[in-house]
Amino acid sequence: MRRNAAWGGAPWRAVALLGLLLALAVGPAGPVGAQQPRSGGTLNYIVEAEPPSFDAHRETTFAMLHPIRPHYNLLVKFDLQNYPKVVGDLAASWTISKDGLTYTFKVRQGVKFHDGSTLTSADVKASYDKIIFPPEGVISARQTTYHMVKTVTAPDPQTVVFQLKFASPGFLENLASPFNWIYKAEILARDPRFYERNIMGTGPFRFGEYVRGSHWAGRRNPDYFVQGRPYLDGYRALFIGSPAAQVAAIRSGQAHMTFRGVAPAQRDELTTSLGDRIVIQEGPWLCNNIVIFNIKKKPFDDIRVRKAVTLGIDRWGGSKALSLIAFLGPVGGIMRPASPFAMKTDELAKLAGYNRNIRAAREEARKLLREAGIPEGFSFTLQNRNVQMPYEPVGVFLVDQWRQIGLNVRHVQSETGPYLANFRAGNFEAGVDFSCDFVDDPDVQLAKFLSADLSAVNYGGYTDRQLDLWYFQQARTSDKAKRAQIVHQFEKRVLSDQIYAIYVLWWARIVPHWRQVRGYKISIAHHLDPDLQDIWLSE
Amino acid sequence: MSRYVVTRFLLMIPTLLAVAVLIFLLVRVVPGDIVELRLVSGGTYVTKDVIQAERARLGLNKPIWNQFVDWMVGLVRLDFGVSMWSGDKITHEIAIRLQLSLELAILATIIATVLAIPLGTLAAVRRGTWIDQAVQLFSVAGLAVPSFWLGILMILFFLTYFDWLPPLTFTPLWQNPAANLAQLIWPALAVGYRYSAVAARMTRSAMLEVLREDYIRTAWSKGLNRPVILWRHALRNALLPVTTVIGLEFAFLIGGLVVTEQVFNLNGIGKLIVDAISHRDYTLIQGLMLLVAAGYILANFIVDIVYAWLDPRISYG
Repeated sequence: MRRNAAWGGAPWRAVALLGLLLALAVGPAGPVGAQQPRSGGTLNYIVEAEPPSFDAHRETTFAMLHPIRPHYNLLVKFDLQNYPKVVGDLAASWTISKDGLTYTFKVRQGVKFHDGSTLTSADVKASYDKIIFPPEGVISARQTTYHMVKTVTAPDPQTVVFQLKFASPGFLENLASPFNWIYKAEILARDPRFYERNIMGTGPFRFGEYVRGSHWAGRRNPDYFVQGRPYLDGYRALFIGSPAAQVAAIRSGQAHMTFRGVAPAQRDELTTSLGDRIVIQEGPWLCNNIVIFNIKKKPFDDIRVRKAVTLGIDRWGGSKALSLIAFLGPVGGIMRPASPFAMKTDELAKLAGYNRNIRAAREEARKLLREAGIPEGFSFTLQNRNVQMPYEPVGVFLVDQWRQIGLNVRHVQSETGPYLANFRAGNFEAGVDFSCDFVDDPDVQLAKFLSADLSAVNYGGYTDRQLDLWYFQQARTSDKAKRAQIVHQFEKRVLSDQIYAIYVLWWARIVPHWRQVRGYKISIAHHLDPDLQDIWLSE
Repeated sequence: MSRYVVTRFLLMIPTLLAVAVLIFLLVRVVPGDIVELRLVSGGTYVTKDVIQAERARLGLNKPIWNQFVDWMVGLVRLDFGVSMWSGDKITHEIAIRLQLSLELAILATIIATVLAIPLGTLAAVRRGTWIDQAVQLFSVAGLAVPSFWLGILMILFFLTYFDWLPPLTFTPLWQNPAANLAQLIWPALAVGYRYSAVAARMTRSAMLEVLREDYIRTAWSKGLNRPVILWRHALRNALLPVTTVIGLEFAFLIGGLVVTEQVFNLNGIGKLIVDAISHRDYTLIQGLMLLVAAGYILANFIVDIVYAWLDPRISYG
């Protein structure tokens, strides 16, 4: 009765009918309409550290990319919706000669720098000259990445030509490095170090303000060359180091997201407190933790000991357990699991330490220790970084694993400074190392394991000319299958035959963002985020 | 008095010089290299040539004595140099944060003083009563609870019940007082509470001591009224040790709120010191430590001057 009284009567029925008709009329279009990008708003996101300088050509950290990348464009970039597809950014099109030695790019017309001047191929040439052939006194962190480049020329205002010394199969992907920002030639000619302290790009956002220690802000570039972009009016990158403060900032809505990612505990806290207001994107991450040995020190100079140490680790069990508490996950070799050059699981299982039968592996480890003359095991110190996630769980896991084959491990966590200093000085026995890259390319991932005179980050101190030979062979091999074969030989030698390093686990990325953040898709590397060109806010 | 002030002021120079030498040597003893931290700590491959070139650019390949002379020459010209990490002027790096840290220190000091002196006095005057016990409980709790923990509780309370967090970025007081206070009042309360606990206990014990003095008994026998005895004769003398505590705590607050600044994400001097140390930013560490040392020396200097004002028996002639 009451229900009838409330809803009864002709006027209510008419309103209800009208509502139903309206819903039917807009219904099918409703969800689509809701997905239509909307302009306006300011995206606030967290950056865990601050940029040392503003020049991407000299820096290697995401802390510089995340706040400053939206001011710039690249020549080519990864299509983050379809990684590893490379698409043009400032390049309208390109051709590659049949011999793979000449890359010719046509530069988009009508692109303007934030000061109103027009971009030409001379700017692209000047930027790449700075990266590949830096002038005296200018640091380029990626100079050696482009060792295959002979010349960069700009025959006309719209054309840039890269002439290579040898065909390099990963060259195009390497050009899509998120660090290869295009600068203005005229400025570089005047002051090659201008970009260390100043911003002048063509990107979707102009410089707003930078308050050191607090935030970096950008505002929409109204003259951006992509029609209708960016959607956002501006952005603000908030520098927040503490994980607890990061979660609080997202919970309170003062930050929409963090691009680098969070740990499972933070994800769970955000999900519990914000419910369906938060979206969690998870995916693979092109970062990992490695154990390195000082092979000049006993007993790690004995290959049997190193083999025993890798056999003692239950990677598969560790992957299951650690993925619950840390952003760790996949088991893999030097190439990221499931990436184009990664070893298949059955191939991987043949490497020392990758067999799923951990009992048999540990038995073999004990046997090797006996053969090496240390049947009771031995004690050693594992150097680790005092960064909680994921270094600490990795270290604790390793200590436990090695205890099970009779090894007594002292886990020492140091600040990044002394940690790296100890590695560099060879003042360690074994250590938890790491690597993070932006592209699945053997040229990038294998470089760490070149002989010590060729690699600044080969802390193990070994010289292995066979590895050097394979590295340069694979870099020149265009046939993908043949290249993969060389890469796998290289991996086998590093991880199983010589055991210069142990791959513990690869990282797994967890990116939380408020539901109203749209147009973002998680990528394999936090270095690839974000240019903010396509991100929009639904509310 | 003026001669004393000038002498004390001049004595600050050799003290700061000694601090400078000590800091310069200590930061270089600590293992770690700014160049590796900057170029390699991201896990990216960088060649040895690049690392060497960067070390040369920063002057780290020069002999230590040479680096020291360069720094000293700069200091004489009042040029503190540039941060090795950011390339920004050190005076600018400090200036950005000093405003927030000074304001927070002043707010916390006001809160502490407003709470501590009346409560400490009241506890002393009402010794042994429930009021005394309540004040003692307040003080002991303040000493036992770390200010950062109180800050965490505040944040959790705001988030859980109001979905609110103090602003994450600093707004100067004169631009928007409401936004400024919305950010700083909470850390000031968290820090001020602990600070007030120290000062309240000091006030109470100093007051108890003074109240037992002959001249107070004389004042009572003369029939002076209670407020005059307490405020003019007792408290003024009891404030001498309290002033020392407040002065030193104030100096500490400028650079010592590392954890509280992290909890509230404040862009203050404490956080800058930690960042500079973890980056092995020698020039910035040196500049900051000199600032902190100068802050302490200045606070002591001011406390000595205030002593003379509070106690006419003290003469610096």
